[in-house]
Amino acid sequence: MSFLEVAHVSKSYSGAIALKDARLDIAPGEVHALMGENGAGKSTIIKILAGVTAADSMAATIDGKPVTITDAQESYRHGLRFIHQELNIVPHLSVAENIMLGLPYPRRFGALVDWRKLNAMARAALDKLQVSHIDTRIKAARLSTGDQMLMKIAATLISAGDNMARLYVMDEPTAALTGAESRKLFEVIDELKQSGASILYVSHRMNEVMEICDRVTVFRDGQTIATRNLSDTDKNEVIHLMTGRDVKDSYPPRRAAKGEDVLLETKALRTRQVRDVDFQVNRGEILGIAGLADAGQSAVLLALLGVDRVQAGHVTIHGSPIAAQNPSAAWRNHVAYIPRERRREGLMLQRRIVDNINLPHLQKLSFAAGFLSRRRERRFADALGKKVRLKSGGMNQACYQLSGGNQQKVVFARALGDAPELLLLDEPTRGVDVGAKFDIYTLIRERSAEGAAVVMTSSDLPELIGMCDRILIMREGAQHSIIETDGLSPADLLAKFYD
Amino acid sequence: MISLFKRYGTLVGFIAIVAFFWFNLPDTFMTARNWLNISQQISMLAVVAFTMTFVMVMGDFDLSVGSMASLSGITAALLFSQGYPVAAGVAAALAMGILGGFFNGFLVSILGILPFVATLGTLTMFSGLAFWLSDGKTIFGRDIPKTFSGFARGGVDIELAGTLALKIPYLSILALVVLAAVWLVLEQTSFGRRLYAIGGNYEAARLAGVKVRRLRMAAFALTGFGAAIGGLMYASRVASANPTQGSGLMLDAIAAVFLGMTMSEEGEPRVLATLVGVLILGVLDNGLTQMSVDSYIREILVGAIILTAVASSSVGKFRR
Repeated sequence: MSFLEVAHVSKSYSGAIALKDARLDIAPGEVHALMGENGAGKSTIIKILAGVTAADSMAATIDGKPVTITDAQESYRHGLRFIHQELNIVPHLSVAENIMLGLPYPRRFGALVDWRKLNAMARAALDKLQVSHIDTRIKAARLSTGDQMLMKIAATLISAGDNMARLYVMDEPTAALTGAESRKLFEVIDELKQSGASILYVSHRMNEVMEICDRVTVFRDGQTIATRNLSDTDKNEVIHLMTGRDVKDSYPPRRAAKGEDVLLETKALRTRQVRDVDFQVNRGEILGIAGLADAGQSAVLLALLGVDRVQAGHVTIHGSPIAAQNPSAAWRNHVAYIPRERRREGLMLQRRIVDNINLPHLQKLSFAAGFLSRRRERRFADALGKKVRLKSGGMNQACYQLSGGNQQKVVFARALGDAPELLLLDEPTRGVDVGAKFDIYTLIRERSAEGAAVVMTSSDLPELIGMCDRILIMREGAQHSIIETDGLSPADLLAKFYD
Repeated sequence: MISLFKRYGTLVGFIAIVAFFWFNLPDTFMTARNWLNISQQISMLAVVAFTMTFVMVMGDFDLSVGSMASLSGITAALLFSQGYPVAAGVAAALAMGILGGFFNGFLVSILGILPFVATLGTLTMFSGLAFWLSDGKTIFGRDIPKTFSGFARGGVDIELAGTLALKIPYLSILALVVLAAVWLVLEQTSFGRRLYAIGGNYEAARLAGVKVRRLRMAAFALTGFGAAIGGLMYASRVASANPTQGSGLMLDAIAAVFLGMTMSEEGEPRVLATLVGVLILGVLDNGLTQMSVDSYIREILVGAIILTAVASSSVGKFRR
């Protein structure tokens, strides 16, 4: 019998469907992998299990008995424990205190903390995991990321009576770990498994999944596609299950042949976050950048925009090296940028649409001495709003009142304002509804046909294949290869992300 | 209805305060003479608060304006006592303001120190500098030229029916000029619009090519400049300079901008709203003094009014 079984899990966020009748069952003492592309619904189901997000509908059983998970406390009482990517540690407290955090400290004389006993309890928890190299008295900040994770796992072992940990949900646990740290983690996972606990292992790393997991469940577009024993399947089948679909004909066709002259070129580009980036983009060409989450796709764009300093190598536009390295100089040179996090990095949500569109273009909308012309401002924003087919209650509406798709169109209108020659697009259709997506694809195609070079990232693989001429693959911050998209399938592309 | 009240609550409160004093002081409060008096009393605070709006638009603030005002007065008075002409003293004081403001901007924008900490530090530095330069003494009497102190006593005469009816003080006129200048810069120029953009979303403004660091420095410099003007006005009014005379300005200036922010839908500072904030503080001071209310009680009232205004609007609360 399963330890935990959830079925008919549905969840939508203001119209956008995140999960649709998904299911997941986990046996006692197994390591169960959960896989899927970005946006497949993995994070949503984790949040639902953690009691952070409420499902629209769900039938859950534990040991065959129906249960509810309405809040984090209830999830905890069911024995569910979560090891997140961002570890919530208190850096200047000792390891022992971090392990005992949230529990009453042992005391002496009724008031003073019994440090000796506290350390002993923490020590015992680490020993259960066969972890002997961590000193419980040093500050948590001094531990490596891997050891911090082991510390957090040890913390989950300390619990009273009925609230024993029974399922560990680990979300991309090895993303920030070195190889040796990962090995230690796998040993600990094995210890946990021996003790009868289950692990839900969420990861993009196919090889790890193949090595340590017993079964895998694949999500796609919010639905459960399949659950397989890993002994009965292989890497290729899992990738096929994850991508599944063919590229649909939902992308506007290219309008003109790409130009002959190179607009953008990088040579052995290195920044804080990326290295060995070497490519050329012609006028009228669209280059995609792809890879696993945080493999450096966005960081390439930040280097081109002048946010991340170029440490080695160089970037040329029109054959001449870029001068000043800051976003302001980039915009002046007709480079336009659409950030990944629209709300945090793109918009001034409280301010009017017209202010948001015109921000980088105020110079040319002003008379002498910087006095703004309201009329020019209005005309400029109106024309761009029309161009991107913005649906709003007028240019004076505040941006927070717009839908995600229309907010993104405001950011696009801003980017298209000064006839950009190089468009840098970081996830241009993220969180955008289908209709607005097509409008955005059309805008990209239009600008490209007018001779601009486009560099875009996306975690939506069919989108990259549908829009781009070539795709640059990033692996762990370094350029791996550049491939043509002609005849490429999403599964082929995804397979390039893995070793 | 509720949102209307939220938006205009502060304005309604201001009118209520005026009505209250009008009712209680029927003969003296609602007269042109008294209002001109109020305008002169608040002129220094007004100038400092108007220019404080520059940094508060970006979500920053400047605690050092009070000690900068003192320092500016001392600088001018010191040069006067050495025999320099009025213009030289005034110019040096204003330069001191701009320089100090740039220093604040450098600390906040280039070194990345929080405005609270940075300007707390410079508050102490400017104050110490003022004490050191003046040797801790008040500079007054013959050291202060008549042309300088005369400015605060002078005004534009307005004749009605052939007789001298009223005199609009130069100080009030100066405050109005500063108001107009700040309004023009903040509301009508691309510079001002970019400051609002920085306040709206620093990261988005930076990525959209706004030169955030340079603008932040410039805004702090303008605030320092305003503080120096305020300090000179004060020194002119009392015909003396001492190293603590500006210190009351800082809290009142920030309070005035906050009161103004409660009238904006987006919770943004607007200089015309700051004017209402300044008027509230000025009218309270004037009316309560006339009613012989204890000055300590006055402080309690002013604090309570600020908190009420902020609590009833959406400004200054935690956002989800």
